[in-house]
Amino acid sequence: MAGVGVAPRLAALGGTGEGAPSPHRPLHDKIHTMPRALIIAYGNPLRSDDGVAWRAADELEDKIVGAGVEILRTHQLAPELAETVSRFEAVIFIDAAAAGESNGHPGELRCAQVGLSEGPVRFSHQLSPASVIALARQLYAASPRAYAVTLTGECFDHGEALSPVVAAALPALVTRIEALIEQLVSPATVPPDSDKH
Amino acid sequence: MKQSSIVIDPVTRIEGHSKITLHLNEDGRVEEARFHVTQFRGFEKLCEGRPFYEMPSLMARICGICPVSHLIASAKACDQLLAVRIPPTADKLRRIFGLAQVTQSHALSLFHLSSPDLLLGMDADPATSNIFGVAEKNPELALDGIRLRQFGQRIIERLGGKRIHPAWIVPGGVSEPLTEANRDAILFALPDALAIAERTLEWFKSTTERFREEISVFGNFPTLFMGIVKKDNGLTFYDGNLRIVDASGHIVAQQLDPADYESYIGEKVEPWSYLKSSYYKPKGFPDGIYRVGPLARLNVADRCGTPRADQELAEFHELQRTAVLSSFHYHHARLIEILYCIERLEQLLNDPDILSKHVRAVARPNALEGVGAAEAPRGTLFHHYKIDEQGLIRWVNLIIATGQNNLAMNRSVLQVAKHYVHGNRLTPGMLNRVEAVIRCYDPCLSCSTHAFGEMALRVQLLSPDGEVLDEVARP
Repeated sequence: MAGVGVAPRLAALGGTGEGAPSPHRPLHDKIHTMPRALIIAYGNPLRSDDGVAWRAADELEDKIVGAGVEILRTHQLAPELAETVSRFEAVIFIDAAAAGESNGHPGELRCAQVGLSEGPVRFSHQLSPASVIALARQLYAASPRAYAVTLTGECFDHGEALSPVVAAALPALVTRIEALIEQLVSPATVPPDSDKH
Repeated sequence: MKQSSIVIDPVTRIEGHSKITLHLNEDGRVEEARFHVTQFRGFEKLCEGRPFYEMPSLMARICGICPVSHLIASAKACDQLLAVRIPPTADKLRRIFGLAQVTQSHALSLFHLSSPDLLLGMDADPATSNIFGVAEKNPELALDGIRLRQFGQRIIERLGGKRIHPAWIVPGGVSEPLTEANRDAILFALPDALAIAERTLEWFKSTTERFREEISVFGNFPTLFMGIVKKDNGLTFYDGNLRIVDASGHIVAQQLDPADYESYIGEKVEPWSYLKSSYYKPKGFPDGIYRVGPLARLNVADRCGTPRADQELAEFHELQRTAVLSSFHYHHARLIEILYCIERLEQLLNDPDILSKHVRAVARPNALEGVGAAEAPRGTLFHHYKIDEQGLIRWVNLIIATGQNNLAMNRSVLQVAKHYVHGNRLTPGMLNRVEAVIRCYDPCLSCSTHAFGEMALRVQLLSPDGEVLDEVARP
C-alpha cells in the first residue's frame, strides 16, 4: 500500500473544496460523539436543475450547525476527492440525475449505497461516486460508508433557477439528507441499501 | 475514388468532447483525418452588452480547468480599457495565481489523462488504461498526481477563495492582498511539490525509450512555434512579446506586440468543426501552421530563469539540433514547466513587497479597446474587447490555444493514422494512438459545461461499399 501522508507539507496547505470552506457543524448533539461525515454536492449551478445539489447544500448549511459534518460543493467529481473522502467515515454524494428509464421521472428522489465496482472509467477527471470511493480504498486504504442521493431533473438549460417540479422536491431532498446523516452517525442504525421516493 | 471512414466518437481522456474521422481509400489506407470539435459555446456573442468589469468573471466560466488563465487575459484586456498600470505587487500576485494554475492543469494532463498511456503502454486494455490502472501498477505515481494537482488548486483556493472560477483577479489588479499566513503555508508546501516534479520528470525520461516509434510519428513534422517571452527571451506565462521560430529553430519573428495579433494571426473556419484554425498570416493558410503550448514555449525560450528548470531546458534543447518537433515531447515540456512554476513561485513569494496592501488601481474606462494576452497552460491566449462610452461590451474576440494548435492536431492525427491504421483490421491500441496524439496537445475544448448522459465509443471500419469490416466498441 502506498504511504498515506508522505507529503505532510502539502497536506498542511489545507483546502476543503470549492467556495469558502464550510464550518464543521453538527446536526444535533448526537453528532459530537459520532463519526465525521462529508456531504459532496456536485453539479453546475448555472445549468438549472443541475445545480440542485448546491441548493440543497445551501439549505443544509443552515440546518447543520457545529462540528461533525462538512459540506463540499464541486462541479464534478475528480480524482483529488479520493484523498478528501479518505478522511471521513461517511460520505453522501448529492447530484441531479437526467430523467430516463434508470432515473425515473423529474422530481424523483433516489438514494443508493455506493458500491465499489462499476464499468470502465474513461473520463478520469470526471468520476462517479463509486470511482471516488474505489480510488480512496485503492490509494488511501480508506472505506467510508457512502451513499448517492439523486434528484431527477427536468431542465438542464442555462439558468440559475430550478424547474418547478425540482424546486418542489428540494425540501424532500434536504429532509432525506438530514435523515441519512442522522442514520449514518448513529451506531445503532444502519441505513437501507437504497430507496426511492 | 470511393472512400470509407472510421469515426472515433468521443475522443476520450481529453478536456471536452470531440470526435475523429479517418477517411480510407479503396486500398484501406488512410487518406484524410479530421479532428472535430462538436461543442458550440458562443461566449464571444453572449458577452455583448455586458459591463466590461464583469468580463473577468464571465470569461473564467469558459473553462473549469484553466479559469485562471482566462481571468488573467481578461483582466489584462480590462487594464487596457482602464489605461492603468497595475501595482507591482498585484502584477506579482497575478503571476503566482497563473503559476499555480499551470501547475494544477499540467498535473491533470500528465498524471490523470496521459499517464495511463505512458505507464501501461499504448496497447493496454482500454478498460484498465485509466487512473485505476495507474494506481494499481504505480500507486506512488497516482498519489503524486493527486498531490501535485491539489498543490496548485489549494494555492488558487487560498488566494482566490475557491478552486474553480475564482474572481480574485479584477481589472486594475487583484481584489485582496496576500496574507502572511497564506504566503507561509504555500512556501511550506513548496519542497514537497518540487520533489514530486523532480521525481516525475526523472520517471518520464526513463520511459521515453519505450516510445521511440511513437515519438517518430506523433506530430513529428515541421511547423512554426509561437509563445510569449520576456525581454531577455526567457520563459514567462504572464507578460511579454511574442516570438516565433521555425522548424530549424531559426527566429521568424520576435518582439511582436500581442495587441497587434490581427496583423499576423489569421483564423479560418472549417465546415466540419466548431473550432477555428489559426495560422501565421505572412505564410498564409495552411502553410502558416504553428504550434503553441509547452513544446512551443520551450522551443522559443532561450532560458527559464530558474536553476533546475534551466538545467532541464538545456537537456531538452539537446533532443534535436533543430526545434524539438515531435508533439510527443509536449509531455516532457509540461514537466519542465511544472518544475519552473514551482521554482518561480518560491522566488515570487519571497519578494519583499509580496505582502503589500496596495494591489489595485482604480479608474474609469479611458480607452474603448483593449487586448490582453497571456500564456495559458495549453498556449497563448488572447482576449480582445471593444466597449462603448458607457463601458458596455460591443465586440469580443477570443483566440484560444487549442484553436492555434488545430491545424497541427489534425495533421498529427493524419500522421499517426497513416502509420498505424491499415487495411481492414482495427485494434484498440491502434485507435488509442490516434487519441493519444491528441492528448499530447492537451486540448481544452470545454470542461465548464457539465456533461451528462452516456457517450459510448463505437468505431466501425466500413468497406467502400458499406460492408462492416471491423468494429471496436467501448462500453
